[in-house]
Amino acid sequence: MTPDQAPAWADVGFWVFALAAVATGYRVFRTDSMVRSAFLLLASFLNVGAVVLLLGGRYLGVALVFMMTVEMTVMAIFMVAFMMNPAGLNPMSMVHQPRLAVVAGAGAFGGGVLLALLGEFPDRPRRAGADVIAALGSQLLGRSMLVFETVGVTLLAAMVGAVALSSRRSRFGGPADEGSLPPPLEPGGDRYPAGVVPEPAGGHGGHGGHGGHQ
Amino acid sequence: MTRVLAVGPLVVAGAYAAAVARLAAASAAAGHGLRGLAAEPLRRAALALVQQRLATERPDAASRALAPAVVAALAAVGLALVPLSRGWVVVDAGAGIVVWGSLEALAIAAVYLHGWSANSLQPLVAAYRFTAAGLTLLLLSMFVLIGVALPAQSLRLADVVDAQAGLWNVLRQPLGLPLFLVVALGITSWPPLDLAGGADLAGGTAAEASGPGRLAWTAARAALLAAFAAMGAAAFLGGWHGPWLPGPAWMAVKTAALLAVLAAAGVRLAGLRAEALVARGWTVLLPLAFADLAMAGLVAQL
Repeated sequence: MTPDQAPAWADVGFWVFALAAVATGYRVFRTDSMVRSAFLLLASFLNVGAVVLLLGGRYLGVALVFMMTVEMTVMAIFMVAFMMNPAGLNPMSMVHQPRLAVVAGAGAFGGGVLLALLGEFPDRPRRAGADVIAALGSQLLGRSMLVFETVGVTLLAAMVGAVALSSRRSRFGGPADEGSLPPPLEPGGDRYPAGVVPEPAGGHGGHGGHGGHQ
Repeated sequence: MTRVLAVGPLVVAGAYAAAVARLAAASAAAGHGLRGLAAEPLRRAALALVQQRLATERPDAASRALAPAVVAALAAVGLALVPLSRGWVVVDAGAGIVVWGSLEALAIAAVYLHGWSANSLQPLVAAYRFTAAGLTLLLLSMFVLIGVALPAQSLRLADVVDAQAGLWNVLRQPLGLPLFLVVALGITSWPPLDLAGGADLAGGTAAEASGPGRLAWTAARAALLAAFAAMGAAAFLGGWHGPWLPGPAWMAVKTAALLAVLAAAGVRLAGLRAEALVARGWTVLLPLAFADLAMAGLVAQL
């Protein structure tokens, strides 16, 4: 954009969305709740999606919104479920290992800047009226199909595995945690969390031996 | 550019039509007449505006206010995407079907935020069970909507309607519309699938909402339901196609018919608990959606 041109609406939009993405990304770590943090990250991604749309990625921008919304919602749910923080509304810090994070963040930012300044980027302007969605589809289901399908099937296998591992019901119908014991309160100690009754030594060998949970 | 101005009236009309359809279905099922129903939503809205307002202890006030606004905005986006007549659509998105998918995902996130932000037990439980069911329904909706994109060979909604000039998708892909209506009821949390609401959780995510806040939440979901009905009319019932009447009239008739079907389902069908809905979603509805997509692919090849 030269100074004598009026800024086009796309340029204004780019700066608004880009700055909003950075600001909400910063707030992710400065807020005090897991759920707020997850949805601020979602807000940051939505702004990135808007920038991608402005760059002409008509499918990729929308797909980013779609994927990130589902991902961040699932993340918020599991973080609340697994945190010792009822409902995620109690104030808590959103940073851990801050020194390592600062070093890693500065390193990543420096690397990105170097890449932007020194890297060589292809300069192939898109023809006006080109069907980018069809082009993306032919790429994904043509030359890149092997990569795409390999990643897809790997992810699917990981998901099936995660569901199988987290299932309450074991392969043989009984509860999957039958006969298992949480760790003692102190390492090597013999005190257990309330409600857990350890069996006598050597007594927890077989599945369903005592029919405890039936 | 002036077409954007049509979105506001569309959202208001949609929410109003969904509310009247719900009242009319309940009234007809109870054997009462339909007299005075047209003014009933307005009367209730006016009452809600002057109702006492309750507050919870340390809520997330911003999210609490944001959730109904987001749902209303999504209803506006949905109604802006749907072509109302040949060549007349507010936003002609090239990837319209994917935009619709993002809209559903964001609606689920908004309902979760609504339940979470109250800092109260029942709303949080409702938010959780709604999200579990919502993510299942989201998968259904993706397969069903990819099905309608196949005969059109396009993700653009105007192309999807155009491809139904000879044969409507409701006949070409008979499983599609019923599955899409299940998604509509589930994601807008409308009876009988009102998992985010429901008397069993003292009102669910809206258990702590009162007055204008409750009105905004109900009205926004009603508008979203109307957007779903308009999308169903465009994707499965041939959109603006039809004899004698002009295109927009056909869209209005078909959208109203779908709203009536959805409202009747709320009265006639029993609701499902979240676990039952998720289990049946994965074991019955999702395989049906696969079958729908496979059938759509085969028919599109002919």
